[in-house]
Amino acid sequence: MNLRLIDWIWCIRGSVPLAPGQTSGDAFGKLEPLFQKQGTTHERAGNTLTFRKKDQAAQDKMSIFEGGVLQIENSAGGPVLRYVMTSRALLFCFLAPLLFLAFAQLNITLGKMDKQATEAAKKAGKDPDAKKKADEENKEIKLNPIDKMLGAPEPEKPKKDGKDKAGDKDKKEDKKYSPTSGYVFTGIFAALYLIGRILEDWLIKRLFRKSLLGEG
Amino acid sequence: MDGIRVGNRVIGTQGPVTVGWENIPKVEGGPFKLFFFTYFQPAVLFGLILFWYYAPNSIAKGTTAIYIGIGFKVLLMALEWINPRYASWQLTWKELATDLFYVGLGYTVLKTLDNYIGDGVMIEAIQHAFDFKNVTWFTGLPLLLQAFLIAFIFDFGQYWMHRGMHNWYPLWLPHSVHHYITQLNINKGAVGNPVELFLIGLGVGGFFDFLPRAFLLAGAIGMSIGVYQHINVRFNSPKWWRFLFNTTEHHSLHHSQDYEATRCNYSNSFIFIDRMFGTCIDGEAEMLGLEHGRRMSISEQMTYPFTEGWKSLKERFGQQQPTAVPAE
Repeated sequence: MNLRLIDWIWCIRGSVPLAPGQTSGDAFGKLEPLFQKQGTTHERAGNTLTFRKKDQAAQDKMSIFEGGVLQIENSAGGPVLRYVMTSRALLFCFLAPLLFLAFAQLNITLGKMDKQATEAAKKAGKDPDAKKKADEENKEIKLNPIDKMLGAPEPEKPKKDGKDKAGDKDKKEDKKYSPTSGYVFTGIFAALYLIGRILEDWLIKRLFRKSLLGEG
Repeated sequence: MDGIRVGNRVIGTQGPVTVGWENIPKVEGGPFKLFFFTYFQPAVLFGLILFWYYAPNSIAKGTTAIYIGIGFKVLLMALEWINPRYASWQLTWKELATDLFYVGLGYTVLKTLDNYIGDGVMIEAIQHAFDFKNVTWFTGLPLLLQAFLIAFIFDFGQYWMHRGMHNWYPLWLPHSVHHYITQLNINKGAVGNPVELFLIGLGVGGFFDFLPRAFLLAGAIGMSIGVYQHINVRFNSPKWWRFLFNTTEHHSLHHSQDYEATRCNYSNSFIFIDRMFGTCIDGEAEMLGLEHGRRMSISEQMTYPFTEGWKSLKERFGQQQPTAVPAE
């Protein structure tokens, strides 16, 4: 399989033109401070710079990358800096929606299993919550006189109607195994990936351009 | 570094820390900014208490609390951007994605796990085994007192669990991962090894009965105090607030690069518990994280307690090299 077809997921590629008259030595000299950060190692060989990062600091402007290659090439319009860099953070963010979908699916499966087990127990005449239900029905809920005086709403009385109670319990059980949060985080990470892929691409290009111009 | 003597201990020998409120920078800017960042915290606390106290039953529900919680966090993220405490704690895309991953774990797989081995299940099992019911003394108390008791009981338990984590190696292993965060942001409280996140969430509140509204009030109190532990916003918190409640200042010191300074300010919301037990230090730190601020990756955070634990076990019980005994 040609990785090039899918490596845009975790790779950021791009090019920045060098300033007029700038040599590769000058250009790498200007970029040098970016590779003097905690957890970063780099090598220069001719027109190529290779770097690696491990446990990079949160505020490292290249923190999303684990490694990459920067090359100065001559193009028709003059020398350009071409780069290709890999990011585990982007890959992880791309895959995270699948993980949260799996958690949502797990909850659905566990919810079904739990329902089956409860129904089987009921059929066998052993309602595990029967005692709890009786306790709840016997509970008398009263508001303290101070709260009454201050106007706090009275608490809701426990429902005596068996049907309603069963409905409430089902709702509670459904919430216990609800896949909603899994779906919400699936959406959040899908959005985060799109934002990150566009934002970080733009930020690194801006960083290289500014550094090459000596503004960084 | 010389360090600073605080009671019987010297802190700040391994990492920079600031001790004493008089040495902590204040919010700078115009009168509106000063007013806003001085009274924001108490206004939110009292506003939420009033809301939950008087909200009709149709609104006073858990789902409303969830929406308020999300909205409040988004607002605080905006404040992090408007008035950051430190530029070195600025939220980046990678930090946000990492933090939200842990928040996501808390809302999904850890919640599912809670259905099987959480404190609710444990309490039910204990009650079943010893055949005793919930303690119902508190339901007749005034709502605010009930809410305080819920929050206090949980925080008191958290204090000792957290202190235990800093003093007993098997508990320190899962907690240590949380001390590799190198900056404080609104969702950093969720960052940690799942074992620790499970342990720190355990409480004994389930043994007691309270009115549902008291739980909502307690949740609001806990949120509007505890949320400031991990946040990159500079507030001029009022004196009484700093005396009673945990602040970013207290918690940043707890996360500092100095080992001795990490062994203070254990409570979640009520710093007066630390004052009661002599573990409170008023101060702050900017440079955070173990191993001089080494940022740990998610994969290492997931495995670190186990790999470190295994290393320690091997060191302790592994085959000892025979030591040479000199001939007499």
